[in-house]
Amino acid sequence: MSVLIRLAIVATLAETGFVHAKLYLGGYRVIPYIGPMFLLQAAVSFAVAALLLFAAPVVLRLLAAGAAAGALFGFVLSRTVGVFGFTERGFDPAPDALLSVLAEVLCLLLIGVLWAGELRRRRPAL
Amino acid sequence: MGMPIISKRKVAALALVGSVGLISACGTPAPTLTAPNSSLAGMPGASGSTSMPGMDMPSSSAAASAPAAPVSGTTVAITNFAFSPASLSVKVGTKVTWTNKDGDAHTVTSTGSGGPLNSPAMATNDTFSYTFTTAGTFNYLCTIHPFMTAVVTVTP
Amino acid sequence: MREHIEEQETGPEGMTRRQLMRHAGWFGGAVLLSVVGGEVISSLATDATAASDPNTLKFVQVSDSHIGFTGPANTDVTASFEHALDRVNSLGFRPDFVMHTGDLTHLSTPAQFDQVKQMLSTARTDRVFVVPGEHDSVGDGGKAYRQAFGANTAGDGWYSFDTHGVHFLALVNTLALEKFGHLGNDQLDFVRKDLAGVKSDTPVVVFSHIPLFAMYPQWGWSTDDSLQVINMLRRFSSVTCLNGHVHQLFTKTEGNITFHSATTTAYPLPKPGTAPQPTPQVLPARQLQDALGIRSVTYREGDQLLALKEERLT
Repeated sequence: MSVLIRLAIVATLAETGFVHAKLYLGGYRVIPYIGPMFLLQAAVSFAVAALLLFAAPVVLRLLAAGAAAGALFGFVLSRTVGVFGFTERGFDPAPDALLSVLAEVLCLLLIGVLWAGELRRRRPAL
Repeated sequence: MGMPIISKRKVAALALVGSVGLISACGTPAPTLTAPNSSLAGMPGASGSTSMPGMDMPSSSAAASAPAAPVSGTTVAITNFAFSPASLSVKVGTKVTWTNKDGDAHTVTSTGSGGPLNSPAMATNDTFSYTFTTAGTFNYLCTIHPFMTAVVTVTP
Repeated sequence: MREHIEEQETGPEGMTRRQLMRHAGWFGGAVLLSVVGGEVISSLATDATAASDPNTLKFVQVSDSHIGFTGPANTDVTASFEHALDRVNSLGFRPDFVMHTGDLTHLSTPAQFDQVKQMLSTARTDRVFVVPGEHDSVGDGGKAYRQAFGANTAGDGWYSFDTHGVHFLALVNTLALEKFGHLGNDQLDFVRKDLAGVKSDTPVVVFSHIPLFAMYPQWGWSTDDSLQVINMLRRFSSVTCLNGHVHQLFTKTEGNITFHSATTTAYPLPKPGTAPQPTPQVLPARQLQDALGIRSVTYREGDQLLALKEERLT
């Protein structure tokens, strides 16, 4: 069961990394601060997703959650107060923004499920 | 088993140091297009996402346009991006001379159209003179830095 | 697949050294892989910008040469501008055009315009475009400027052109100034009519001297009627506004529009809020060269945004 969850996390991480890489190559790379952050997010997402294929130790789960949560946080900031002067509206660019947000939310949920499942296994009586 | 335990606190400290080290290392490959003073991106003057460009600032500029009590005399100094005195009072027939003491060029130009003041570009130490032949209030500004405004009041 | 191995439990005091090594190992592996991944992705970006690709548009923006300025902030602006043009000619590619975003001269004299025109002709490029700055229209409403550079322009000197699938607008917001930059109704009409026939997925680039956004209104670094133009530009998928006037690099993005201010080839001005007035700043020689520069812009057909590269004059 947890194998499936782990592989699902791999998929969501790969998706958010892919979207950020695609947007980076498609032009976001020239935006100051945003460009490099997209690159970082994509690189970390792909790297952690690749490693998660083998195991899901705490370190990788934290990194995966960080990549997903960081991207979500950046998304919210860019629609509200702005990130270093950069703002966008709604779910632009479509459909990438929506796909990425869904993938990140799902990723975080799955990591939570995995972690909760382990807690339950460690204390079977409770 | 008999293995030495490393305290949680040490691990947390290590993790923190490691992360800070990484983040600062990540900070260096900045893209070539960010300016040396790219911290401007969050500057107060560049208003955030909601207010649109080109909005008029209700407040007056830094120095020049403060409505001061008119000073009498025949010279106006242009210094620190301001006309000094900002409000001059003279009698009809007086010749007023402006001197540019600033590092940048300035002009003495009547506000709006049809006014009598229309100096050429004045470099540092250049002067411009005009004799006021009619009474009235003559508002003027520098066309290069239009936030520099002043007035000459001519009395009969 | 091997699951998370329940080794010696992390006891109340902490973890074993072996566990720490394992955690560090995974972390290190993730870092390494991330670096590799990052390199791969960014190399994909630079690979694609083939310099020899004829469909790639490359142009250069220079600004604020202030020929005729004398002062401690730069005792030889002419040499600085020559240096800048040398950089343009040694970028490693021939730009499709060079755009000067204003304040070509310092005092609008015909002699200064002649000198700038002659210097610009040394740029190895196919075309040179300009827009005037407020220093180019002192005392004559822009007459001397238009005599030198007004060919094929309308009104005060505005115009538009298309190349490589990009639509360019060159606007004049430095005449009839009252506190801020000003476009005027005639020019707004021109822009409206000009943009009517442009498809929304065409990238648009707008040149002007004074910023079209409120960068620092206290010093006049803003345009009082640009909102109407901004609204006309909202329907396009990608709009880039390149301006001069402020003598420093600055970028701001709002939705589909990105504003990039360019630096000067003459003398630096203070950052907003760091000085009481926009006075020419006196810097030691090497810092001065760092503050001066040109900008090269690349656009690959199919990209959403333009890629900017700032080149300092050091």
